[in-house]
Amino acid sequence: MKYPFSKEATEYVKALGFSIQDLEKEEFKPILDRAEERVKEALLGKREVRRPLREEIEILSFPVSIIMTSAMNNQVVKRRFADFEAKRITEWLKEENCENLIKVAKSFNWRIRALRGENFALHFVDYLKNAVNFNEAKWKLVNRVLSNGEVRLSKNDVARLLEEEVRKYIENKLNVKLDIELPETLNERVEKLTQIASKEVKRFKLEETPKELNQEAFPPCIKNLYQSVTKGLRVSHIGRFTLTSFLLNIGLKPEEVIKLFTSSSDFNERITRYQVEHIAGARGSKTRYTSPKCSTLQTHRLCVNKDELCNKVRHPITYYRIKYRMLRKGKSEK
Amino acid sequence: MSIIHSLTEKEKAFIKSYFAKYYKENSSQIVPPKGMEEREFGFSLFKEAVMVRHIGFRRVEELRSFLVNKVPKDVYYSCAYYERPTEEMENKGWLGADLIFDIDADHISTPCKKMHDLWICKECGQMGRGVEPNACPVCGSTKLNSSSWPCEICLEAAKREMIKLVDFMMDDFGFSPDELRIYFSGHRGYHLHVESEVIKEIGQNERKEIVDYLQAVGIDLKYHPFSQRGSLDEKGWGGRIARAIYEFMLRPNLAQDLARLGLNKKAIANITENRDKIIENWKEHGPWNIIRGVGFSTWEKIAYFSLKNQAANIDSVVTTDIHRLIRMGGTLHGKTGFKKVEVPLMSIESFNPFNDAVAFKEDYITIYVLESPKFVLKDESYGPYKDCKVEVPVAVAILLLSKGLARLED
Ligand code: SF4
Ligand SMILES: [Zn+2]
Ligand SMILES: [Zn+2]
Repeated sequence: MKYPFSKEATEYVKALGFSIQDLEKEEFKPILDRAEERVKEALLGKREVRRPLREEIEILSFPVSIIMTSAMNNQVVKRRFADFEAKRITEWLKEENCENLIKVAKSFNWRIRALRGENFALHFVDYLKNAVNFNEAKWKLVNRVLSNGEVRLSKNDVARLLEEEVRKYIENKLNVKLDIELPETLNERVEKLTQIASKEVKRFKLEETPKELNQEAFPPCIKNLYQSVTKGLRVSHIGRFTLTSFLLNIGLKPEEVIKLFTSSSDFNERITRYQVEHIAGARGSKTRYTSPKCSTLQTHRLCVNKDELCNKVRHPITYYRIKYRMLRKGKSEK
Repeated sequence: MSIIHSLTEKEKAFIKSYFAKYYKENSSQIVPPKGMEEREFGFSLFKEAVMVRHIGFRRVEELRSFLVNKVPKDVYYSCAYYERPTEEMENKGWLGADLIFDIDADHISTPCKKMHDLWICKECGQMGRGVEPNACPVCGSTKLNSSSWPCEICLEAAKREMIKLVDFMMDDFGFSPDELRIYFSGHRGYHLHVESEVIKEIGQNERKEIVDYLQAVGIDLKYHPFSQRGSLDEKGWGGRIARAIYEFMLRPNLAQDLARLGLNKKAIANITENRDKIIENWKEHGPWNIIRGVGFSTWEKIAYFSLKNQAANIDSVVTTDIHRLIRMGGTLHGKTGFKKVEVPLMSIESFNPFNDAVAFKEDYITIYVLESPKFVLKDESYGPYKDCKVEVPVAVAILLLSKGLARLED
């Protein structure tokens, strides 16, 4: 029952039938304390070391900590919390025997079975849903043994994939809209946590992308596309999408991108404008597209002339940021 | 020199009249895609060059009468299932999508393309043969017209890729034959539709991984330790790598091919002299340590080079697009007049598009052919033609007209 997402745990919480207003009662204080502590642990990335608490408290404080975290309403905080709680669970998972591991996996509806010698066979869809979030080569499907719809996995692999499943599970819970009024005690605690977060979160904020454009810092794939377009060569649809979204992401205005396309070749101005503005999020969906990552460019054979720096990045934008700074430094040193 | 002819209104009307006849006579047999009410439909028409999109049908009869009344040039439906298929993309409410593969001769290099594919520059009139270049080599314009021919050799190459793909789908991905539907595209290739609840809801990233698997993108031999196992019937890529090396060893110009990989003279000699021994050793556990001076890194070089032949050459963009419009089975292709027809898995080897995808009955008509390669249609041989008047069956006329290779005679 120790897994807060297990059927037993959710049913246990349900059976108690307490409402959110009940949390004001004195007897719930240890649970609130623990819930607050859980969020704080996640924010500081440190675990409190002390005797384990009663299982009941661990179980009940989980949903409460979820409520607190989502009330903080900050994506970075939510991610931190989900990561942290998932890691906690991996440690337990690693200790489990194969039978229990399968039980946990099945609670997420995985199609999994045990093979001889602590190995497992997992349906490729269940595998992919989680493995796509990992970057290392060993998680690519092409680097696995796949047969009859099943991927062969070691026990550690299964535990790692389950961690990802748990992380997503928690993230989903955190993104459910809260339509209830929180009791005062809870609000106070959320307020306290928000203050800690505002100090901590700054630390893991993403770095800004440089403001001016520096073509020298383009990664090889983008350089190639950029040159094709300026030379008036034909570029595939996905190639145009890649270049457009890249340029927009590093800060070019839609107007400037449209000019690039229309001045150099026979791209139809009206269609180009439509496409560029669509990608910029100025039309329809209002979502601004992020430019594709390296592995996507590899799939579509647009990753060409890889260089040293390429081996260190997973996204052309990251390449650009690093190279940009390298070039700037080089200049100022001269 | 011939040029690529653009259809006149009269010629369009001629083709359309036969499309109309086809839909009138056959629409009752056209089977809509599974989950029709949840699909978006799209059409291109003979009149304007725009695509009509976001159309939905609730009943088969509506769809059929649309085909009979509008007589579209091309008919498409979404691989995706939507809550509200007729709304704008943002409001459709994506529910899932079939897994679609497109194998097109355009993406396979065949030597015959140099003979039968044409392009012409709209600016300066320069003409050339083979795959259409990015830009006109004379004036640099990107406004090119092209005509690619659905040739037998190219289509056969596409079929070989399809057979490889089907093996992947059944052996590696575990789909059963009744979840796989193979179609001749109506032009230069084949489509595979995987309609299965199992994959319906997977997103773009997961589909991308499937594409990478099929094309061996990002493969690292470190994870396929063929020197330890390496038997030919190993599961998944392990076996494919072994088979790739095995097939490489059978090449007629082995020494030359090894030299192209940058192996040194000594290693090449060691391998070619021991070729029989190497091949023989596959009955056991592979030839990995039996040849002096040929170590693991050499085998690895050969493996990386040759495993491309084991991959399935699919269009990566089509498969990763979860909103893609695809041509509907049983409808006509606007560039050829051929039907997109289902190819039963069991008879794919013997399927012949120039027989099994012909849509029109034997009316005869006279056309003026600018240029055409030789081909066989319904067991009759035609061409090669060059600036001549010929009387041919309507199916042949429509093919050549649609390809811009002929004109209607007044
Ligand atoms: S590795 Fe990434 S950044 Fe480098 S060329 Fe390839 S896609 Fe571009
Ligand atoms: Zn020209
Ligand atoms: Zn050909």
